[in-house]
Amino acid sequence: MNQEFDDLLELGNFYILSQEFGEAIKVLKMAEKIDRMNPELYNNLGMAYEGLSEKDKARDSFRLVLKLNPNHKSAQEHLTRLIEE
Amino acid sequence: MEGIVSQSIVMDATDEKGLKELGITDFDTAIVSMGETIEDSIMITLSLKEMGLRKVIVKAKSELHSKILRKVGADRIIFPEREMAERLAESIASPKIFDFIELSKTYGIIEMVVPKRLVNKTLSELKMREKFRVSVIAIKRKLPFTLPDGSTDFKEEIIVGPGGDDEVISGDVLIMLGKNENLEKIEKL
Repeated sequence: MNQEFDDLLELGNFYILSQEFGEAIKVLKMAEKIDRMNPELYNNLGMAYEGLSEKDKARDSFRLVLKLNPNHKSAQEHLTRLIEE
Repeated sequence: MEGIVSQSIVMDATDEKGLKELGITDFDTAIVSMGETIEDSIMITLSLKEMGLRKVIVKAKSELHSKILRKVGADRIIFPEREMAERLAESIASPKIFDFIELSKTYGIIEMVVPKRLVNKTLSELKMREKFRVSVIAIKRKLPFTLPDGSTDFKEEIIVGPGGDDEVISGDVLIMLGKNENLEKIEKL
């Protein structure tokens, strides 16, 4: 695994937990430039968009997670919740 | 129905005799929600009013249906499908608007994502009543937390009747009450 990618992912998660969703999106977009195939990245991105109440973008991100990993439980749950809201 | 109502009965509502035996007149309000056949809903409404029921609320399918229901004494007519379609159209037209409830021709309640311009300010700093003539009646907020497996999830917090010191943050959903024309101004921020 790329250390820089991991650090950005962790920082993104930190920002999500701090309710700084805009900042989370910025760092996760930087991480995306390193690895576009990581489901956790898109799951966190989906969470950040969900936190911002940007439902369309959140749904797109969770769908991307499920393309990369159809068994991703968290993405499945969040997507279902967003669709049914 | 168990758990929702204290008593439920399965019967043919078009059977006037059956309704009388049931003691329907002891009830304050009847809701006629069957919409499959217009004729049945009209007949039931008529029966209920003739039996002396004080308030009968009926679901209508069309304007003509509504007109007849009014003639036979319906006290309130609702168009659930049309009302839902209007609310859905409103939310599709603007992804920032989650819901809109029309209280009257003039007043409404809107549920919308806080516009960027209003973020990181307290309600007293925003002066919503003075500037926009709307009242923020609640704030919905997603609070992130960590699950035992290390993943992150949200729980929703609702601040009902927020005070002047409450700060609005990114992603908050504001529930506001006001004149429709003033709510529209906020939509455009």
